[in-house]
Amino acid sequence: MGSEAWLRLIQGAKKTAIIQDGKRKVHFLLEDGREMVEEYHLDTNVLVKRAWKEKGKLGQDVGWLVEIGDPEPKQQDNLEITGIRESSNAPFVTRRLTKTSLEWRIRNLPYPKDVYVVTADNDGTITVRTTNKKYFKKLDVPDLERIGLKPEQERISFTHQFNTLIITYKKPPLLLDLEKKVLNELMQLKSKKEGDVQCPTS
Amino acid sequence: MASAAAAKVQEVREITRIERIGAHSHIRGLGLDDSLEPRNVSQGMVGQLMARRATGVVLEMIKDGKIAGRAVLLAGQPGTGKTAIAMGLAQALGLDTPFTSMAGSEIYSLEMSKTEALTQAIRKSIGVRIKEETEIIEGEVVEIQVDRPATGVGAKVGKLTLKTTEMETIYDLGNKMIDSLMKEKVQAGDVITIDKATGKINRLGRSFTRARDYDATGSQTRFVQCPEGELQKRKEVVHTVTLHEVDVINSRTHGFLALFSGDTGEIKSEVRDQINAKVAEWREEGKAEIVPGVLFIDEVHMLDIECFSFLNRALENEMAPVVIMATNRGITRIRGTNYKSPHGIPIDLLDRMIIVPTTPYQEKELKEILKIRCEEEDCEMADDALTVLTRIALETSLRYAIQLITTASLVSRKRKSTEVNIEDVKRVYSLFLDENRSSQFLKEYQEDFMFNELPEQAMDVS
Repeated sequence: MGSEAWLRLIQGAKKTAIIQDGKRKVHFLLEDGREMVEEYHLDTNVLVKRAWKEKGKLGQDVGWLVEIGDPEPKQQDNLEITGIRESSNAPFVTRRLTKTSLEWRIRNLPYPKDVYVVTADNDGTITVRTTNKKYFKKLDVPDLERIGLKPEQERISFTHQFNTLIITYKKPPLLLDLEKKVLNELMQLKSKKEGDVQCPTS
Repeated sequence: MASAAAAKVQEVREITRIERIGAHSHIRGLGLDDSLEPRNVSQGMVGQLMARRATGVVLEMIKDGKIAGRAVLLAGQPGTGKTAIAMGLAQALGLDTPFTSMAGSEIYSLEMSKTEALTQAIRKSIGVRIKEETEIIEGEVVEIQVDRPATGVGAKVGKLTLKTTEMETIYDLGNKMIDSLMKEKVQAGDVITIDKATGKINRLGRSFTRARDYDATGSQTRFVQCPEGELQKRKEVVHTVTLHEVDVINSRTHGFLALFSGDTGEIKSEVRDQINAKVAEWREEGKAEIVPGVLFIDEVHMLDIECFSFLNRALENEMAPVVIMATNRGITRIRGTNYKSPHGIPIDLLDRMIIVPTTPYQEKELKEILKIRCEEEDCEMADDALTVLTRIALETSLRYAIQLITTASLVSRKRKSTEVNIEDVKRVYSLFLDENRSSQFLKEYQEDFMFNELPEQAMDVS
């Protein structure tokens, strides 16, 4: 999918916007029936959250899958029902965007900086390895996938502090361009100030 | 060592919980050979050769899955193995083919209409085989650690450390998961997969790196590579859900939680239409496959005329399952009308059915069945006692004779014997009345009971 296809998808979607808590929140109902929510910071116009509404194969609601931003505070799932879950001090990934880069933060990684190896892989993912064989993760890059790009090694950099590994990927010009166009599109939307707004869901 | 002992105790407990002996738990199939010829005694089935042969043909039809909406009627006197044949059919079909068993009187409920109950039963009998992605955890066990509270009661706390060639993660375990890990005897060095959705554990083998631990390996131990990459993987699995389950998941008012509480109420017909359309779409795209199953309605004469006419119509639908009904009635009143009809079923529905008759058992077959039941109920019986019991079965009824097995074995145990002999059988025969003797007794002492009425009027059972 090229960058035009994504732009067309955004343009064709039914959009509902509201300004709340200093954020411009936009709900998209895409033409293929999927639902997405984006939240932009009012002052900086940086995307702080993007989430997709997930549906199971049989049409049941599964919940929201957060692509960018802090994950929804999960209610403690009952261990007696699920049977198994990752220990609470296991590493987990969150994603953020800045004006110029994509960012991943992997928390709960106590190992020193020199054990981490971060590479761009041919299958369109960024792979995090540790030389002590304690952590391994393939990170999808949906932003690049949507415009048909593959991650490039020279744009990747990472730092480590406070038990957190921060991976930064400098946005390619094509992506910056697309984001500007999408933002323009959204700025033209009339957004409601407050109150109960009903978003179309089907 | 302690954990191994604990695992053993756990195992025993599991088994005793599952194994209660039902009226048909000795039946494991239809007892047919490959050319559908019935073997005389096989898989818990005895005699009734014609009926079993006929059911075998029906079984082939169901397995083909091409023909929708046929109805089969099992007709015969009480205690001639109608339900047993249906159970055998269910066993022979296997787990993957939906088999719904209900009694005719189950549809009468205040919470939903009769037709809704029937529709739900019909849709429970149609399976949809779909591919779905589930998350599995695959890795080599580094350590499994279970802490029991010092008092011995209360929840156990468990931790499981798994690794691949690239990473290592610690998982918290729930009680059920701890138990099943114990049952599977999972230990450090095993390579396992855990299905996150169902909690199913699969032991793939032992890791090659542990090949030198001779003490723990048997001759049949399989050695596998330690998995690579991430611990959690997405894997495509095929599973079968029934149309009813899809209905419930999609009916907005309840959500899928209703499946667990069992309170599904009525489902709107629009929802069903939508589901049908969607399933048809999946089928065309090759995403799903329809598995037509079997709906078994026992005591079908308890349905009324409305249900019968509804069934007439429902059977014409191309999504209809094969409906098997059983009745022990002769020519009797159709419920809800004043008309009489064979088996209490209207002629137009009878016309759509193929009828499989069952006949009363012969003495030799009765003996065989009693022998099987003795085994099933874990009761050793002397040969002459078995002959007497067979006599009893012949003169009273098979069900009554089966009742005497466990009671007689209890009597024999009271006198500290392991085998049931004639005396025990005679004793329980005198202790417990069968239906004939009971009515005889009532006839004789009629006037001593309360509310005794006209002696000659037959009881209206329909």
